[in-house]
Amino acid sequence: MIAVPRLRLDKKDRQSLLVALPFVGPWVIGFLAFTAYPIYYSFTISFTRYSGFGDATNIGFTNYEHMYHDVLFWKSMYNTLYYVALAVPVGLVIAIALGLAMNQKVREVAIYRAAIYAPSILPIYALTFIFIVLLNPRFGVLNYAIVTLGGPSINWLGDPAWTKVSVVILAQLGAGGPALIFLAAIRGIPSELYESAALDGAGAIRRFYHITLPLLTPVILYDLILGLILGLQIFTPAYVLTQGGAGAGAGQYVAGPDNSLMFYVLYLYKTAFQFTDMGYASALATVLFLVSVVLALAIMRTSRSWVHYEVT
Amino acid sequence: MRSFSGRGWTASLICLSVVVAACAQGGGSSGPPLAGCKSGTTLATFWTSHTPPDSDSLKHVVDTYNGQSSVGCVKMVQVPGSETDVTKLMTAVRGGSGPDVYMLDRFTVAERAAAGVLTDLTKYGAGNLSSKYVDFAWKEATFQGKPYALPLDTDVRALWYRKDLLKAAGVDITPLDPANGPVTIDTVRTMANKVNHQDASGAYDVIGFVPWVDQGWHYTWGFDFGGSFFDSGSCKVTPTDPKIVQAFTTMFGDWAKALGPEKAQTWVSSFLPPNNPPQQWPFLTGKTAFIITGDWPLNWVKQYKPDLQYGVTYIPIPKTGDTPSTWAGGWSLVIPTGAKHADAGYDFMKYLAGPDGMKTYVTETQHLPTWKSLGSDASLYQGDHTFFATKLLPVAKSRPPIPVGAFYWDQLSTAQDAVVRGSATADKALADVATNTNAKLQQFCPLK
Amino acid sequence: MTVRSVDRPLVEQLPQAGRRNRRPLAGLLQSAVTPRVILIGMCFLYLVPFYWMATTALKDNPELNIYPPTLWPLAPNPGNFISAIRYIPFPQFFINSVILTAGTAIGAGISNPLIAYGFARIKWPGRDFVFAIVMATIFVPFPVLILGLFDVFTKLGWIDTFLPLIIPAFFGNPFYIFLMRQFLLQLPVEISDSARIDGARELQIFWHIILPLAKPAVAVVIIFAAVAAWNEFLLPLIYLQDESRYPLAIGLQFFRSQHNVQYNLLMAASTLVVLPVLALFLGFQKFFIEGVSVGAVKG
Repeated sequence: MIAVPRLRLDKKDRQSLLVALPFVGPWVIGFLAFTAYPIYYSFTISFTRYSGFGDATNIGFTNYEHMYHDVLFWKSMYNTLYYVALAVPVGLVIAIALGLAMNQKVREVAIYRAAIYAPSILPIYALTFIFIVLLNPRFGVLNYAIVTLGGPSINWLGDPAWTKVSVVILAQLGAGGPALIFLAAIRGIPSELYESAALDGAGAIRRFYHITLPLLTPVILYDLILGLILGLQIFTPAYVLTQGGAGAGAGQYVAGPDNSLMFYVLYLYKTAFQFTDMGYASALATVLFLVSVVLALAIMRTSRSWVHYEVT
Repeated sequence: MRSFSGRGWTASLICLSVVVAACAQGGGSSGPPLAGCKSGTTLATFWTSHTPPDSDSLKHVVDTYNGQSSVGCVKMVQVPGSETDVTKLMTAVRGGSGPDVYMLDRFTVAERAAAGVLTDLTKYGAGNLSSKYVDFAWKEATFQGKPYALPLDTDVRALWYRKDLLKAAGVDITPLDPANGPVTIDTVRTMANKVNHQDASGAYDVIGFVPWVDQGWHYTWGFDFGGSFFDSGSCKVTPTDPKIVQAFTTMFGDWAKALGPEKAQTWVSSFLPPNNPPQQWPFLTGKTAFIITGDWPLNWVKQYKPDLQYGVTYIPIPKTGDTPSTWAGGWSLVIPTGAKHADAGYDFMKYLAGPDGMKTYVTETQHLPTWKSLGSDASLYQGDHTFFATKLLPVAKSRPPIPVGAFYWDQLSTAQDAVVRGSATADKALADVATNTNAKLQQFCPLK
Repeated sequence: MTVRSVDRPLVEQLPQAGRRNRRPLAGLLQSAVTPRVILIGMCFLYLVPFYWMATTALKDNPELNIYPPTLWPLAPNPGNFISAIRYIPFPQFFINSVILTAGTAIGAGISNPLIAYGFARIKWPGRDFVFAIVMATIFVPFPVLILGLFDVFTKLGWIDTFLPLIIPAFFGNPFYIFLMRQFLLQLPVEISDSARIDGARELQIFWHIILPLAKPAVAVVIIFAAVAAWNEFLLPLIYLQDESRYPLAIGLQFFRSQHNVQYNLLMAASTLVVLPVLALFLGFQKFFIEGVSVGAVKG
């Protein structure tokens, strides 16, 4: 439970507030100006019909009622949750694996680290261009590898069953970032712990499960939350991957075959800036916000039982 | 321990902010009119999302205008964006920092006007120009009977065919010569099927004709079958028009079924993936013998494969005797709400969208004009471009100028995709389009 | 009292064969060969996009016609890099990117450790409640904020300047605050307590004791903030209007037009965009991994 602050403050409380103020103060200002006000702004227009220009017409809960009947709302919500359920665990495992790999004691490890981190710094705009080539069903590297290993040829971006998996794979090219956090955390684990465990005869696998993993739990929590949020707000890859029309034409999709890449924020974005329906877009945003908070609170609550801040 | 006070922190933070702010504001510009303008003119900004070579041509027109105008002095800015994505314009106009003139996809004029982004041009006397422009373009530039834009260029769709591939498959290509009039869809189907080729694994490496890619849109075939997408009387979209249903069934559902929907879609993903560079356009690489596309690939051919053996003809008609049709898109010039120098802006618009500016622009870019008298000026076109201007433009239709145009387009595309993949019948898919779109449209009715 | 040492240099001496392992050859295999095989395998996967970008950047237009695409340029043309730089105002965009990135990184590097410290290492009434709000702001989808933010920045007169892109970084970012806090929570409480007994003020403790210990985390925050700023796409798209202020991330868009993509030039420019960041990363990573040099006392 989150404790609501007591309103009566004794002298000691006031003093501690004064101590904390220089630290937390900047955040409070930023929060009020750059988050609270804009949210308030958008929450109020979620009850209106508003194009973003001229006057907003108050229409009560109509936008929220419309949502219930809106096929694309449900579809985009489904797509997004499906993506999150797939991308978050995969991303976590890969980031830990990369973090461990980046911690190997070889002389030229700096080069490997840079190589693994490298795709994270590619402009997403260029990366998606490249990614589409790699996923080409006939000439792409990925299918070449799969078919060579005896697997089927997959139409990654043309088959609704595989499009979201494609985006998950694309996201893994950015796993170097989270892996760095894990690397920093792994290197922060006192080496004595491993040495004494080794003296007790613990093998590498036991040491990983009994020392490394428990001590990584705070970072795992961070990565879970991060993955959840970025997953729920997935936008840019879908936006770039699904842009038809440019270049030499593309498949005639709105957001991938069967709208399978119509993610929630993409739909929200289209509603706001292509269909200029700010009222409905704001209502969509409010709902996403609520869903996110519920999911994150669920993770935070269970975290108490599995996150360890110190070795026990 | 060195002491480090809170004040020190704040001070350094402020210092840093000031430095950063100074850097951030460096390079500020504007002020008096630019070099190349006459003195006493008013500075107007003009935004376009076009990129070279089109933007180069726009720049030429701007320079010419600046050299001769005693009213305006135009600063052209290239902004990121696309046909329907106007995030930048929307936010800028809201923030009071929008441009004086914006180049907008003409088909979205009604939509943006309804949203209140555009200035009504009646007070500038734009209404008097109505007869100067081709009809469909002018209609697209108006909303509720008022002019909100001046039309600029346009583009039309045609059937392109590869002479070499068809001949190699033993097809007699004489019927495709546009001099013989339009061919029927059945004729094209028979020809195309002879070109289909599968590799050892059973995947298509060449498909004669995939009618739903490139410019083979819902509108293309819907108009071709004589369908009507909007009924202004009842203020309702009419995607369930039996002719449109027929078009979807024939060109998308049945055609895909004949090829095998999955195998056809694998071909599409292989040879026409998203963001495909024009060099790898399947028509250039010989992966298809027919394609529906616009006039702009004329430039690709010139640039990337000048020896290509190809021809251009009418979009095939459902049955002999039908009149050929196509549809036209294109761009227009608008004054966003809150423009600070709208008068100078309009003066420039009138020039660019007038006979002189438009002539320079369409000649240099090989686009088609909407200024009536330019359309018949044969000196503007070379080679196959003449066919687009003289034969196709007169039979061109345009998308209904309704305030939910972008939404309707998305809905139609979703239906098209569903029918191609066989996950819905044309009837069902288009009925959904009607329900969803009319629900959105209702708030704007009646439309004048 | 035990002394905790987290001092582990980046390049550790390879274990002397035979000293710890009874079977020298197997030991060498385990410590020197296996990790390299795994690492090289992983790097291969992660370098494929780079390889593709760099080789495509060298291809001439006619070669882009070839299907399937060639794996190695038939006639590498380094001239594409020059053309790419000339196609867009590359130097100007580059300078803009550097200003935006540096400003954001400085802001993030200052604000987030400071704010996280306030949540992790000072007890004050309502702290957990306020932190819950910090966490909640993570969940606000950016599109929700766009219009309201535009309102704020318009009132401040910041539109078409770098300020809306840089200044918010000085007020903390919930992701980085959370990340920093997770790190700070792991440091033993006792090191602060003993300093407090010595009469140190909280900002002194932060600056002289905690910040040096948190260097790796600060470095991670700076790297992330810098890379995010370098590649940021949507914000500059919205707030910047004059071309002369565009960063590279937006400039890349100009390689694509309504009906065309300058594919090889786009890749050439992208390569140039990436190289400085990659070089920076190679230099910077030593700081955040090797920089862990801590001798803290735990009671």
